[in-house]
Amino acid sequence: MKKEIESANSSTELLTNETVAEAVVDAPKTIVDQSTNFDVDKQKKKQLASNIIKNILVYLLLTVCAVLAFLPFYWMVISSFKTEAEFRESVPTFFPHTFMWKNYSMVLSQGSGFGQALINTLVVGFFSTVLGVAITILTAYALARMKFAGKNALFSIMLATMMIPGEMYTLTNYLTVAKFGWSNSFTVMIVPFLVSVYYIYLLRNNFMQIPNSLYQAAKVDGLSDMGYLVKVMIPLTAPTLVSITLLKFIGTWNSYIWPRLVNFDEWQMITNWVSRGFVDRGGVLYPAEWGGSVYGGDPLNTLKMAAVCMVSLPLFVLFIFCRKYIMHGVSKSGTKG
Amino acid sequence: MAKTKKNTATDEMQVDLQQQESASKIMSEKIEAAAESMIAEENAVVNDEVAKTEETSFKKPSVGEQIKNFFVNTWNKIKRFFAKLFKKDKAVAQVQQTDGADAVAAKQPVVEEKLPFKVRFGRFCKAQSGWLFVLPAVVLMCIFTFYPIGSAFVNAFKQDYNSISHEYNGWGFANFARVLKSDTGTGGATFVQCLVNTVVFTFISVPLSTLLALLISVALNSIKPLQKAYQTIFFLPYLTNSLAMGAVFATFFTIIQTPNNVETVGLFNTIGELFGLQPIDWMGMASPKWVISDNLVIPWAKYIVVIIYEVWSGLPFKILILFSALQSVNKQYYDAAKIDGASKNTVLWKITTPMISPMISYLLVTGIMGGMKQYTAIVGLFGEQMGINYDMGTMVGYIYQFKDNGYMGYAYAGSLILFAIIMVFTVINRYVSKKKVSY
Repeated sequence: MKKEIESANSSTELLTNETVAEAVVDAPKTIVDQSTNFDVDKQKKKQLASNIIKNILVYLLLTVCAVLAFLPFYWMVISSFKTEAEFRESVPTFFPHTFMWKNYSMVLSQGSGFGQALINTLVVGFFSTVLGVAITILTAYALARMKFAGKNALFSIMLATMMIPGEMYTLTNYLTVAKFGWSNSFTVMIVPFLVSVYYIYLLRNNFMQIPNSLYQAAKVDGLSDMGYLVKVMIPLTAPTLVSITLLKFIGTWNSYIWPRLVNFDEWQMITNWVSRGFVDRGGVLYPAEWGGSVYGGDPLNTLKMAAVCMVSLPLFVLFIFCRKYIMHGVSKSGTKG
Repeated sequence: MAKTKKNTATDEMQVDLQQQESASKIMSEKIEAAAESMIAEENAVVNDEVAKTEETSFKKPSVGEQIKNFFVNTWNKIKRFFAKLFKKDKAVAQVQQTDGADAVAAKQPVVEEKLPFKVRFGRFCKAQSGWLFVLPAVVLMCIFTFYPIGSAFVNAFKQDYNSISHEYNGWGFANFARVLKSDTGTGGATFVQCLVNTVVFTFISVPLSTLLALLISVALNSIKPLQKAYQTIFFLPYLTNSLAMGAVFATFFTIIQTPNNVETVGLFNTIGELFGLQPIDWMGMASPKWVISDNLVIPWAKYIVVIIYEVWSGLPFKILILFSALQSVNKQYYDAAKIDGASKNTVLWKITTPMISPMISYLLVTGIMGGMKQYTAIVGLFGEQMGINYDMGTMVGYIYQFKDNGYMGYAYAGSLILFAIIMVFTVINRYVSKKKVSY
């Protein structure tokens, strides 16, 4: 920075010198020009060198951090392709000797419960996302545009609940759904989490940014509230809605505590399936030459890593295609203050 | 006097109404004719009455005028509203009105009592239609948010409340006392252990990851090429399943001993060995720890594992927020500083830091609030038992463990304590950020 300023100063000097020289005589002008040019070049070189060093350091720092941030993913993927024996080698290998595609086929095989868990998660994710977004839109619209008694009070109460940790009501909800007889069903996974105050707040703020004159114009044209919402508001706030939809689905995909509390057996979600662990059943499942034991009972880490890969893969695919929307949605949550 | 005034006013209003009605094009000729004949009659009546009451109401004409205007305006509004609402019924209603127009006094109650109720109801419904939009959310929140909050506050004071047997020993603070003294008699994790664990994880990992995120985002902000690529890589851990990634981190630290005696000390220990460090059993039975009391041990090696994981998983969000905050700082400030010849340090501490300080304090608040609710990652790392003999339990884990034996009184007491702690931090952070945050 300092050097930039210096160079800036010298360049202005040069300019003034030039103009002065022009105004006075022709002969000294060239001399002045040469001397200042020499200085600028030298400083530019110096500056360039320091910039390069600085850039190298910055890139080095970023690269090291990026490698460390990425290491778990790399480790996860290569571990899922290792044999159990290789995984247990005293010196960890950073690339598998032989690719064990069989890990994946074993994880996907019947009886592992992956298919059922995946279907459960997709069904629950679909319905909770669609219904949740619909409720969010309706509520946010009413809170942003419509006038009714107690609107502000309702909104303040809703915001106040954001201060209370969700864990405080999870246990009561567990008792409530048991009373309703909802345990072991899709309903129990979908209904209690349809309302998300935070997304309502986010979308309401988005709706508020749409100028009121548009609403009045729509009213003049004879559009109903619902028509205005569908034809004007939703298209205008589409990016936020996409972000909310994606984050809601990711939330369902990653939910763990609630499904573990309320659902069992064939109703389990994908996270429950991962967390139950993969244990060698005694030479049958995992051959001895790849590290399986005759007696069984050992945890099969490579299978677990394969399962973890399967669970993480959809998120990455989603991220590749919807990076903009996801990052937009997440960063929005930061600028709410 | 007031009554007469009102009468005149309403009469005149009636006249106005009839005139308007007669003028309206929707009306059939038949109705029009009836109205016309009636107007003539009514005008006569009105004129008489006006003549009678004019002397008394003359003193305050403005008030009478106001009242009249008010009624006329209201009536017009009502009419317009009804015309919109019941377009088909309008003609019928008008016929009914004109039928009873012979006796003005007899007609008055019909107009004043019947229609305003309908009108009021209709208007009320129209005005409150917003509730229809928020109804699903409100109903769901009543069942799954407000009721549980109330229930937690009530049941926390039912001593030794059990949700399975629905028994409790009167009301009082015994739940809180037992929870705090680790005297619940239900086994499992102790409250002190869970509190200490949670506080240690949170208060080391949150500032650490915020600082690291600040460093990375400042570095990220100063480069041009590859900026997007780095940003994407740093954001990647945000999307992961904490349970799954907890399992991956566990493999870094786990020492595996099998009957075949093939053994790995884990990646972390292997790297440590390169630097001459002794391998440590980071997560297993032999994990080093300091025993403080019966209810409290400090398994510091496991703490390190958790903190490394927490920093890693907390970075993406913080980098994203801080980076976008840095990007949104107005470039004019930097230009102005350049012109004034400010040094790099001055720019950092007098411009950049104050500009993004709201975001830093926001990250600290949310980080601490999130950290106090940590649970899933612990399960991912240490399994459902939360370490050996619950020594890695967290506050949330403590609350959930009562689900199985039904002693919800303790769970609610624990959750209220957690709530209080989170509230305290929120208030402190609000206070601090109000004082220090400056634009």
